[in-house]
Amino acid sequence: MQEFLEFTLGGIAFGMIYAAIGLSLVLIWRGTRILNYAQGGMAMFTTYVALIVINHTGNYWEGFGVALAAGLVLGAVLERTVIRPVENKPPLNAVIVTIGVLIFLEGLAGIIYGGQFRSFPPAFSVVGLKIGGTALGVSRADLFTGGAVLAAALLLAVLFRATSVGLRLRATAFAPNVARLLGVRIGRVLTLGWALAGLIGALAGVLVTPATFLYPNSMDSIFVLGFTAAVIGGLESPVGAVAGGLILGVVLSYAGGYLGSDLVSLFGLAVLAVVLMVRPSGLFSTTATRQV
Amino acid sequence: MSDAAALGVENVVAGYGGAPVLDGVSIAVRPATITAVLGANGAGKTTLLRAITGLVRPRAGRITVDGVNLARRRPEAVARAGVAHVPEGQGVITELTVEENLRLGGLLRFGGARRAAALAETYRRFGILAERRHRAAGTLSGGERQILVIARALMASPRVLLLDEPSLGLAPKIVAQVMDLVRQLRDDSGLTVLLVEQNARSALSIADQGIVLNVGKIVAESPAAELLVDVGLRRHYLGF
Repeated sequence: MQEFLEFTLGGIAFGMIYAAIGLSLVLIWRGTRILNYAQGGMAMFTTYVALIVINHTGNYWEGFGVALAAGLVLGAVLERTVIRPVENKPPLNAVIVTIGVLIFLEGLAGIIYGGQFRSFPPAFSVVGLKIGGTALGVSRADLFTGGAVLAAALLLAVLFRATSVGLRLRATAFAPNVARLLGVRIGRVLTLGWALAGLIGALAGVLVTPATFLYPNSMDSIFVLGFTAAVIGGLESPVGAVAGGLILGVVLSYAGGYLGSDLVSLFGLAVLAVVLMVRPSGLFSTTATRQV
Repeated sequence: MSDAAALGVENVVAGYGGAPVLDGVSIAVRPATITAVLGANGAGKTTLLRAITGLVRPRAGRITVDGVNLARRRPEAVARAGVAHVPEGQGVITELTVEENLRLGGLLRFGGARRAAALAETYRRFGILAERRHRAAGTLSGGERQILVIARALMASPRVLLLDEPSLGLAPKIVAQVMDLVRQLRDDSGLTVLLVEQNARSALSIADQGIVLNVGKIVAESPAAELLVDVGLRRHYLGF
């Protein structure tokens, strides 16, 4: 029972990271019908930036803030420069471009910072918490992770549903040509979408890196699982991405805990395969399948 | 509602690669009038509207609103210059609610108070939209959707309104209601309207001026009343 509780809560904590990456992917997919293969690379890069700031100033929160800002800027710059030209071209162009950006960012990080594994501080203590004598399997850091991702998801939901900016984002995603006829500057809207995705990815990066250590490829497997979370949720639904992340996190936690940690990747693949076979459009979607 | 504007199309050539669909079209729409653009499928009527708003870039010619050339501008900029385009197929954003569609149209207005006032005025004028305000726009009937997209276009207080086949897919009674609405917009609000229609009879019944397009060129241009009685022309180009 103790183990079960630990695995469940631990799974939820990691699941929130997959949810965050999934959320960024859904944001970009909905806005531009592009799957951002560079999402993990962007998160890795902004985490390096955070580490530089933290080492310089000795202040974690300054690094945290700079990482988020860097994520915003990186997303916006990428959209304006390399993504804009392929937004209305065949999907394969965008795939190649985003993979290219991934390779570029990983290579650049290697050149600037070197390939060695670096440690990255957590926001709060990673000591496991207890209630009474029972170990919960989560720490303050994990609680902060869960809370931060939930807050980000909620803020996004509010942005989308209750603001003019959100209305423009949704209109641009659903019907860009109609939005243009109504005066929406869809170029700016798309840039904003990528900026927000960069921000959430940056958040995921600083939250998970204490556990994975920081090196140029540190976000690769996280990206794959975040992508899986988004697909489980249906690629269209932010709620789905969060739910997909939680489901995936918990399932993988059980697999790793009860069956052995070398089976985790296999289980990730198995979950993806099962979802795609049983409900290919994702658990939360209402539309037909689409190509990826 | 707004100052009536003159719309000018001068020698516009436009198309989708290869031979142009519009081959030197010139139209002068006087302020606060309805001009009907008629013709068979493929004549270039929809391309004309898309060239005016910039969804298709004109290869040559000028598009003017009160003398200002909009021909090289993007659709967003043309909309901001006061030209509202209700496209073929209506362009209802079905995933949004009725109210969200309307609010989207009102984003061109400055300030929350003006937008709220425009929305209130829209609901006062179009009771059916007020009733359905929180429903997904995709659940509306064809006629209701047509009212919605026209109301949405009006939210920005445009000076020129382009309508692409508003009668498409609608029952005759609803067509009459929509045409009546357009007539009111000219009479009460002084709106300048360019109305593309295959349903020539309905369009001519409210229009001041009629233009017939055939294979990218204007083949007839005269007051609507004259076109209605020109039996030869009607049979040849308009099918009735």
